[in-house]
Amino acid sequence: MIRKEDVRDRLRLNAELAERVLSSFIKDAVQTTGTEGVVVGLSGGVDSALATALAARALGPDRVLALLLPYRTSAAESTEDGREVAAQLAVETRTIDISPMIDAYFDENETDAEQLRRGNKMARERMGILFDQAKKRRALVLGTSNKTEILLGYSTIFGDNASSINPLGDLYKQQVWQLAEHLSLPKQVVEKKPSADLWPGQTDEGELGFAYRTADEVLYLMFDRGLSAGEVVERGYDTDVVTRIEQLERNNRFKRRLMLIARLSGSAINLDREIPRD
Amino acid sequence: MSTQITLGIAQIDARLGDLAANLERHLGWIERARESGVDLLVFPELSLTGYRLLHLTGKVAERPDDSEIVSRLLAAAGKMSVVVGLVEEDRKGVLYNTALLLRAGKIAHTHRKLYLPTYGIFQEGRFFGPGNHLAPAADGLGILICEDLWHPHLARGLALAGAKIVVVISASPGHLGPGETPESQDSWEALTRSTALVNTCWVVYCNRVGWEEGSFYTGGSHVVRPGGEIVERAPFLDETLLIAEIDVREVDRLRWRLPLVHATRSDIEGVQ
Repeated sequence: MIRKEDVRDRLRLNAELAERVLSSFIKDAVQTTGTEGVVVGLSGGVDSALATALAARALGPDRVLALLLPYRTSAAESTEDGREVAAQLAVETRTIDISPMIDAYFDENETDAEQLRRGNKMARERMGILFDQAKKRRALVLGTSNKTEILLGYSTIFGDNASSINPLGDLYKQQVWQLAEHLSLPKQVVEKKPSADLWPGQTDEGELGFAYRTADEVLYLMFDRGLSAGEVVERGYDTDVVTRIEQLERNNRFKRRLMLIARLSGSAINLDREIPRD
Repeated sequence: MSTQITLGIAQIDARLGDLAANLERHLGWIERARESGVDLLVFPELSLTGYRLLHLTGKVAERPDDSEIVSRLLAAAGKMSVVVGLVEEDRKGVLYNTALLLRAGKIAHTHRKLYLPTYGIFQEGRFFGPGNHLAPAADGLGILICEDLWHPHLARGLALAGAKIVVVISASPGHLGPGETPESQDSWEALTRSTALVNTCWVVYCNRVGWEEGSFYTGGSHVVRPGGEIVERAPFLDETLLIAEIDVREVDRLRWRLPLVHATRSDIEGVQ
């Protein structure tokens, strides 16, 4: 039986091997698609820093473009930290302020939109820019969503969850931290409170109502190991937190299965004809 | 089969669904193996097609007796024995996950995968028919494909029928944990080593590398001598040609001391 005190150990990775495997993933994807490299949105947070570092190792820094895409309310330190990460990795950066695009839409059409809608719009604006820059450079968009936020649905659909390839999507948040430390990314980036930085003072854990480390452990037990919510609670986790995580996971499944096509023909894309990509 | 064999394991990647590209790669590795003096060269499971084919399976199927690709491989192999993996279509239109042993201009042996994993990320039972025949090749080379090895009576059956080398070709996806090696590799080595131990035979494990739809293949191909010691191991993740010298008589010398295979009884009542 897996006990609560064992879970954190089970989530530890052989960092060296994981780095090798994930770098080879990026290298293989670029080679197989015949593209020139990757573009990545560098937010100043640990996820995008790790993804950028893996890409720089996989491809060489000159085949990676890091885009800093601040909105006028984004924390100044986010941009500074992003720049520091890029400088450490010798990756080229480009900064594009998304304020004019966002403000044009809301000021002229939707003046009373709440923060969440504005935040979603920003995430999708960044996605649009990343794919445009990728097209311009014949590159792939590197995704930065980790397993915890994908399972919790803590992302904007077709926004930050959109990418060509995602090296981090099977890493829980604490595994991201572990690999970021292993790759010697700047301490303040690894240790800062995770935030989508969609409005001042926002933190992921504040919004979610539980700590990432707890979410990782609960999700690992339910999703990876197949325990029921009741069996997780029996191991000493808070009932309300487990229930909330279970609900988030269930309610956000739609975000992980894109392109829901109505089947008419008996030869529907993805259902009747599963054509793999290499 | 000579008693001293120079074995080559071609631990390679495959282009998914691209027979022509994979054929060219095979020809290149056969040439490299020839330069290294290889007598028996082993490619991974579905080496000519890639593994995760899903609805592409039928599109890359070959009828080996009437296949331009097989003819070109036979010509390239020459005197070398070569094991390749492909999608085989029979006369009834059933598809098999098949290994061919090519030797001296002929298909010397065909093994159709007997156990088709259809669970977790594996979907073989949806696209392939299961083989229903097991025997070693005429010279005592036994061939199994991946999941077959997880059913230990097959390797024992091959040993009883005279196999002294069991070749296992594989497309085994990897996963990691805290350990020094991929967790999937630990399972495979437990299996190949115990197979060589209880059947007192050589075990040759050839796994592929590369990525398909976000899943990587571990590599880590290796050769286990009779009794269970790993004598050669290929690196993880990288394409490589692993060379090993196999002394087939080692099997006999061990069996003189340790008659496990010959002691197998088929007259025990109760569980089957």
